[in-house]
Amino acid sequence: MADLKYAFYTGCSAKGVAPELYESTKLVAEKLGMELIELDAASCCGAGAVQEKDEFLALTINARNLALAEELGLDLLTICNTCTVMLRETKFKLDNDPELKKAVNEVLAEAGLEYKGTSEVTHFLWEIIDGVGLDTLRAMVIRPLKEFNIAPFYGCHIIRPPYLIGYEDPDNPKSLEMVIEALGGNPTDHEAKLACCGFHSFWSAEDKVTLRLTAYDANSAKEAQADFMVTPCPLCHTQLDAMQEEAEERIGIQIGMPVLHLPQLIGLAIGFKPHELGLQKHIITPEKVINAFS
Amino acid sequence: METFKLRVFRYDPTKDTEPYYKTYELPVEKGMTVLAALFKAKEEQDPSISFRYNCRAAICGSCAVRINGHAALACKVQITHLLKKYETDTITVEPIGNVRPLKDLIYDMDWLIDKMKKVKPWFIPKEAPPADGKEYRQSPEDHNKIDFASDCILCASCMSDCNALKVNKDFLGPMVHSKAYRFAADTRDGAKRERLEAVLEDLNLEWCVRCWECTTRCPKEVQPYENIIRLRIMAAEEGFKTPGEIHAEIFEQDILNRGLLNEMLLPMRQEGILGAIKRAPFGIKMMFKGKVNYADFFGGHKIRRLEEIKVIYEKAKEKEKEINIKLPQIMGVIYEDKRKTAKRKNFAESGGNE
Repeated sequence: MADLKYAFYTGCSAKGVAPELYESTKLVAEKLGMELIELDAASCCGAGAVQEKDEFLALTINARNLALAEELGLDLLTICNTCTVMLRETKFKLDNDPELKKAVNEVLAEAGLEYKGTSEVTHFLWEIIDGVGLDTLRAMVIRPLKEFNIAPFYGCHIIRPPYLIGYEDPDNPKSLEMVIEALGGNPTDHEAKLACCGFHSFWSAEDKVTLRLTAYDANSAKEAQADFMVTPCPLCHTQLDAMQEEAEERIGIQIGMPVLHLPQLIGLAIGFKPHELGLQKHIITPEKVINAFS
Repeated sequence: METFKLRVFRYDPTKDTEPYYKTYELPVEKGMTVLAALFKAKEEQDPSISFRYNCRAAICGSCAVRINGHAALACKVQITHLLKKYETDTITVEPIGNVRPLKDLIYDMDWLIDKMKKVKPWFIPKEAPPADGKEYRQSPEDHNKIDFASDCILCASCMSDCNALKVNKDFLGPMVHSKAYRFAADTRDGAKRERLEAVLEDLNLEWCVRCWECTTRCPKEVQPYENIIRLRIMAAEEGFKTPGEIHAEIFEQDILNRGLLNEMLLPMRQEGILGAIKRAPFGIKMMFKGKVNYADFFGGHKIRRLEEIKVIYEKAKEKEKEINIKLPQIMGVIYEDKRKTAKRKNFAESGGNE
């Protein structure tokens, strides 16, 4: 097995409202032979918010985050789509603009740091495929997810924009389906597979946009007769799981669609119990899954 | 002879109660575009198919349609590429999304024009024309800021796939906000404030969900999403106090004071005490499920080496005024090339897309 050692960038959500993502990632990564060195000095990526107020500051803060991974000589591994796109955007801008890189490094130098551009930014989902490998994953499946219809929900920032992400075709991505299949599950195609969860306009357009999207997405999986959704992004998860009841209420429909984090899905198939993976922490309890695995 | 199926959205309100799809079998020809395929079906099989087109060279913006679910110019996309991309023998062509179909692939454009009027998409000079009788001038650096936004051909591909528009037709939409940016950011334009007020009416500019669909769809690299963000930056600079601006301040303060966002205290700081009361039932539900980190109510965890952030913050604030962050297009972004840079060896081998 290749050297699967990563600088682990947790992001805020895994340390905040999605503790089950942090816990399940650690458990699953260890079992799959991935060594995660947590960047406990890394800061928030700005999530697009800081970028809208103070672009240079956001770039510099993220250049520091990238420099921390470079200190370890490792690629930076994320577990959040928005962290992924923000860090990759920083890298893109600095690597393509020597003047900007110089200016950022002048600031970083004050703190004894330097951004070189030597670490890649990668996502847990991609490393399951490119690092661990699907054959290895398949071989580690103890409990195939064969009775489940699983609706993939990519989340925007792991496929768009292609000039920053570029892992796969944003119009026809397959990575999530490939992982679901490797775990023995049935990927369920649905209308909202590539849609937006609405998270990022919550504080400005909760009723006008966000909850309408949330309801649309969860309902799309329901109409496709999925047992649950799976997402590689904690922001999508918070929106689709924690805010689903609010969305049901505002729109006036019943949905009740459970949503799993990607590491939880993998964890179930490779032998962890639902409570070890924190499935009981979800607002929409995935009862069918918990019962099947308990 | 290799063939493929062209599945076309059909609707004639004078005859049909519901839209339907009709499939035409056509030969796969090298270099054939979707528009050419539509012509072939119309000329050889069914003269009643209606669609808009003009230049056939991705310049006029008339032929935007939805192809297998995603907006594109029919004249710019080739059949052989699509068959490979979607690993299928069927190409589905529909009118662009978020519009009212009039007949087949032709849709009602009035609502787009009505939206556009709200941002006055024309030049409003700041001052009288130069006394020397020449044109209004600006530096190449200033022109670069609006150059790409000026390339919009109004094809509405971005409007088609916009997630916010999908659920709320009142959203002005990426094409319109992007056009507002093109003029608001023009150093020769005198209506910046008025334009910002127009896009911030009912805070519409902040309905954008940052899904980046518009930029992904745009056939001309206008980058509507990036222009929306630049408009928001301009609004912040002009002193507009919006929820987005408050949100950004919270993030900035948390990065400075603890490194990570404090999600537990966010609602209170975003919406004040009344907001916190409104969110209380949600908070209790989260507590009950073990999703709440109690320590965060009292400041909570700080990242290591926080002192570096403070130094960086001070210095970055000092330096930012002299920095000109270039647009991605200026850096020579070519989408197709960039897609190939990611490491993807195993991915392709295990059956992923090209």
